[in-house]
Amino acid sequence: MANLDKETIKNLTKLCRIDCSEEEQLNLLQDLKKILDYIDQLDEVDTETVEPCYHVLDNVSNVTREDIVGETMPREVFLALAPSHAGGLIKVPPVMK
Amino acid sequence: MHNFSAIEIRDKFLKGEISAVSIVESFLNRIATYDKEIGSFLEVFNERALKKAKELDAKLGKGEKLGKLAGITIAIKDNIHVKGEITTCASKFLTNYKAPFDSTAVKLLELEDAIIIGKTNLDEFAMGSSTENSALQVTKNPWDLKCVPGGSSGGSAAAVAARLCSISLGSDTGGSVRQPAAFCGIVGFKPTYGRISRYGLVAYGSSLDQIGPLATNARDAALVMEVLGTHCDKDSTSLPLGSDDYLNQMNSIKGLRIGVPQDFLKNLSEEPKKIFYEALETLKSLGCTIVDIDLNILKYSIATYYILATAEASTNLARFDGVRYGVRSAKAKTLNEVYDLSKEEGYGKEVKRRILLGTYVLSSGYAHAYYKKAQKVRTLIVECYKKAFEMCDLIATPVSPFAAFEIGSIKDPIQMYLEDIYTIPINLAGLPAISIPDGFSKSGKPMGLQLIGPQKGDVRVLAAAYAFEQAKPEFTAIPKL
Repeated sequence: MANLDKETIKNLTKLCRIDCSEEEQLNLLQDLKKILDYIDQLDEVDTETVEPCYHVLDNVSNVTREDIVGETMPREVFLALAPSHAGGLIKVPPVMK
Repeated sequence: MHNFSAIEIRDKFLKGEISAVSIVESFLNRIATYDKEIGSFLEVFNERALKKAKELDAKLGKGEKLGKLAGITIAIKDNIHVKGEITTCASKFLTNYKAPFDSTAVKLLELEDAIIIGKTNLDEFAMGSSTENSALQVTKNPWDLKCVPGGSSGGSAAAVAARLCSISLGSDTGGSVRQPAAFCGIVGFKPTYGRISRYGLVAYGSSLDQIGPLATNARDAALVMEVLGTHCDKDSTSLPLGSDDYLNQMNSIKGLRIGVPQDFLKNLSEEPKKIFYEALETLKSLGCTIVDIDLNILKYSIATYYILATAEASTNLARFDGVRYGVRSAKAKTLNEVYDLSKEEGYGKEVKRRILLGTYVLSSGYAHAYYKKAQKVRTLIVECYKKAFEMCDLIATPVSPFAAFEIGSIKDPIQMYLEDIYTIPINLAGLPAISIPDGFSKSGKPMGLQLIGPQKGDVRVLAAAYAFEQAKPEFTAIPKL
């Protein structure tokens, strides 16, 4: 069923934003083909009248809370984690060259 | 010191027989002596642990009340946050990431006066069954240093097995607490989905992940569940239940019906089959009856899991983009290169494989055929277990088709995935399950029995594990280091 080829892998890496080398893409193509072939066995299962499993437990409902400010984390804590920052903001290279 | 259980150490400490400092020094000494070879710890909190120990000794001296885990050394898998310490997830991507908050699990442990002794190695982002996918170091099985400790919580399992700490925390998405526990000859418990808060656990497969304790015996694991198994309002999938009193419910399992999926187990090879059926005899001697159940839909669990877990992972790992935290590629000259190069440099092979697969099964044109299909098969798996539990109280299977394999011996990703055939379905159904040592292979490597309960049947599972352990104390053993 899987229509996997070099082009698909290239597009996937673009979607995931991972810059894989040609060699890596080739390896990934082989691996993914094998895995998808294995996964194809799910076609054997009759799921015509089956609902998808949205949550593994029964009787769940959405969880909400009051829109009241609770614990906050100071900006300095976040900025300390940023690879680059300036003026209290996270800094990144230009969007375009 | 290391021969005592966590509960014994705590009680000795509270009675004043041993100081917390001497406890910590003893374990730190063992780590310094043996972990160079084993490689279970990514980071050891020498100062932090001793500081906590001194505080506990002072508190005890003043007659102040101490927590349920006072004096107990606990190691934390390095995908669970400890505030102020690095959380690497064993990835090059996060080698500089200092957790800005405590996970709920660690917060609860420390409130009960546990001593957090360090962070342990894992497969990168918890993706793997052997800890070989760690980008940072190799962890070896203390029972046979040529072999893997299992994964993805291999560091946590090896540390407890080698008695480098009393207890550790791992995370289990497809077997990652239970399988390394079995490979390392210790107890590993995965609670019902939602029983322990996932707040502060770096997410891999959010509908499958659960934190779980690894310990040398069932009562220690039950003690950890008393502390961690409670509602957390920071995790919207957390069960709306308070804490349970596990230790006072470790009752006799006489009369329990143990379901065994004989047909599903028919391909087991001779040695694990023999050990498993001997374990069933032990359960019979404890007053249980064995019932044959049909779990044949489970043969589709690996395919189902690898669609759902990778789909969820592709979403969960999108946050690692090199923008706000983590290691940003030094070569990035544009914003797109920040994403593309940081991920290329930061992620290992298996992580890339799973993210790509997950993206594929969710992509337009394929989501219906793969993701939705897998979700429907998941419903069938959940229902299959529900039906089985109408006829039995617990289900028994081996944890793994075989004992620990040699490092580097499994190169084919599918072969590695197939290992998890007995553990994966449990995560798909959100059930509680435990691994307890039930024998040794001919080459002296531990093997594990898996006991599975219905949803919210955590107490029953732990009680059965305790009963089995009492009947077979010879399987609670320490490897020669």
